[in-house]
Amino acid sequence: MRVRSVICILKKDLSVGPRSPIVLFAIVLPVMLTLILQLVFGTLFESPPDFGYVDRGASDVIVELRASESVQLHRFESEDELRDVVRSGRLDAGLILPADFDDEIRAGSRPPLQLYISGESYAVNRLIVTVSSIDAIRSISGAESPVSTEVINLGSDEDISLATRFVPVIAMYAFLIAGMFVPAASLVDERERGTLTAVTVTPASLGDVLAAKLIFGMLLTIVMTLITLWMNNALGTNPTAMILVIVLTSVFWGQLGIIVGLLAGNSQALFAIVKASGALLMAPVIFYLFPDWPQWIASLFPTYWAIDPLWQIMANDAGFPDVIGSVAIVLGMSVILAFSIVVLGRRLSLRHQ
Amino acid sequence: MSQSQEAKAIEVSDIEYSYGSTKAVRGISFSVDRGEIFGFLGPNGAGKSTTIKMLTGQLIPRSGRISILGMAVHGHSAEVHQRIGVCFEEKNLYLQMSAEENLRFFASLFGIRRPDVKGLLERVNLASRSRDRVSTYSKGMRQRLMMARALINEPDVLFLDEPTDGLDPVSARAIRTIIREKAHEGTAVVLTTHDMYEADELSDRVAFITEGRIHAIDTPENLKLKHGSRSVTVRRRMRDSEVEELRLELDTDTFSRKLAEATASGTVMTIHSEEATLEDIFVEVTGRGLE
Repeated sequence: MRVRSVICILKKDLSVGPRSPIVLFAIVLPVMLTLILQLVFGTLFESPPDFGYVDRGASDVIVELRASESVQLHRFESEDELRDVVRSGRLDAGLILPADFDDEIRAGSRPPLQLYISGESYAVNRLIVTVSSIDAIRSISGAESPVSTEVINLGSDEDISLATRFVPVIAMYAFLIAGMFVPAASLVDERERGTLTAVTVTPASLGDVLAAKLIFGMLLTIVMTLITLWMNNALGTNPTAMILVIVLTSVFWGQLGIIVGLLAGNSQALFAIVKASGALLMAPVIFYLFPDWPQWIASLFPTYWAIDPLWQIMANDAGFPDVIGSVAIVLGMSVILAFSIVVLGRRLSLRHQ
Repeated sequence: MSQSQEAKAIEVSDIEYSYGSTKAVRGISFSVDRGEIFGFLGPNGAGKSTTIKMLTGQLIPRSGRISILGMAVHGHSAEVHQRIGVCFEEKNLYLQMSAEENLRFFASLFGIRRPDVKGLLERVNLASRSRDRVSTYSKGMRQRLMMARALINEPDVLFLDEPTDGLDPVSARAIRTIIREKAHEGTAVVLTTHDMYEADELSDRVAFITEGRIHAIDTPENLKLKHGSRSVTVRRRMRDSEVEELRLELDTDTFSRKLAEATASGTVMTIHSEEATLEDIFVEVTGRGLE
């Protein structure tokens, strides 16, 4: 393999790529899906957290919160009604302020305060609501940390919004289109047009072409997956681990693309393979949409191990050590795929192109 | 003088190739000198393309040996590819790229830092369209660009598959001029073509191939002398005003006498000499046409 040739072919692919409808499709599709998802779930034009309250004594806490503009306030008359609305997920949080709350605070006592948080509220919204409430109370007391706020989750801690559970689906599209389909289609196109033959009668070898296409797919995968996760606020609390996982798993997707490109003799065969294997490759992410299904079934699909580390970092705040097992399995599969590419590549180079 | 400078440009010894059970090439041997234009003539399916693919390292022969510039093609493919140029019959260019981008990309694969792209495009009359996408080019323009691409690395051996196919007469002549110039500079040229006129005009030697076998290799002149007949046709007006046409075989002992007799009687209107075409010779030697 000649590094110079690989770089030349990669530069050409990066230059021609944006003129290719398939590359444009790979860029546009995850973005479009994200926008549609955000439109459907109402997060496209995201507003501050919805914060309900029952105020028995015209508390200044509400005045402070309104002034801070960090939350969208909604007044309720009944405590039960407020709890029901929070529980249903229509509000991020709810606060019940007793009649003599402000007086007790100013007198220096520490009255109990119940803050209800919806199980479907984003972590960032929970944080905003909690910090805003404590700031408002501290402001009227004139002292530091005058209360200990009891945060009560209404609903299960494990509840994750449907919008969040859709993110792996979009990420999987980014993987499949950018990482797998683009290198495969590029390779098939070069074979059909005969440009692969033209390149391989220069000092560049078929291995150089495959390496360049693999890197091209990896770069596109990394960029599009990061954009997709960023647009969906799904980079998690450990973005370094997320980036590392995406980089490592992008090898797997690029290799799958090269294998599909080597197996498919022409565009029709390529589309047939993609159609036939699409459901199998996408299957694991369907399980994230339906948490009641037995999740272990998802792990039977090879692509599960490439998408699950992202899910763990995104949804469960996992770090890299927590997902290293899954990443190791993906890298193991990459080694097997590398051998397959060598075998298929030799077969192609020895037969009429 | 180094070994590669001493060696013939191309040496092919008893190569064979099969597609499954179908034998495409059956024991072909030939050599091509530096600066020689070697015409490879045969009908579709004769084994020309398979032979060229083996010569350019795209296929490995089942048996036999091929060396280019003294190097075995299989085993030194990168070194061999560095010094050959290939103009395919299929117009395998990057259509989304301009002519200039195509040439710069291929130059980069040869490690050429400052290719004379402008000069090459001027040589094939594409300079004015150098920045247009190749997808907007006509068939003839693409063919000329293919030729320019084959020359980007200033090859020592040039493989040309139907290089003037689809070109207008002026462009075809320009391409033929380039081929002659390259040969004059010492480049060995292997030319496969259906155009017998072109093969006759350009080739120093030609090989006739059918069904995977070479039937004859020689200069066009020698092949015509060996296998064809030459004649002279005399048209004359007789005293009774009738026009008479006489066809006299040139390579006979009685030719001079018969010609003298023919010109002595009546008024000579025209005298035409005729010789067998390369196509006639091909049919004569192989027993079949080029279709």
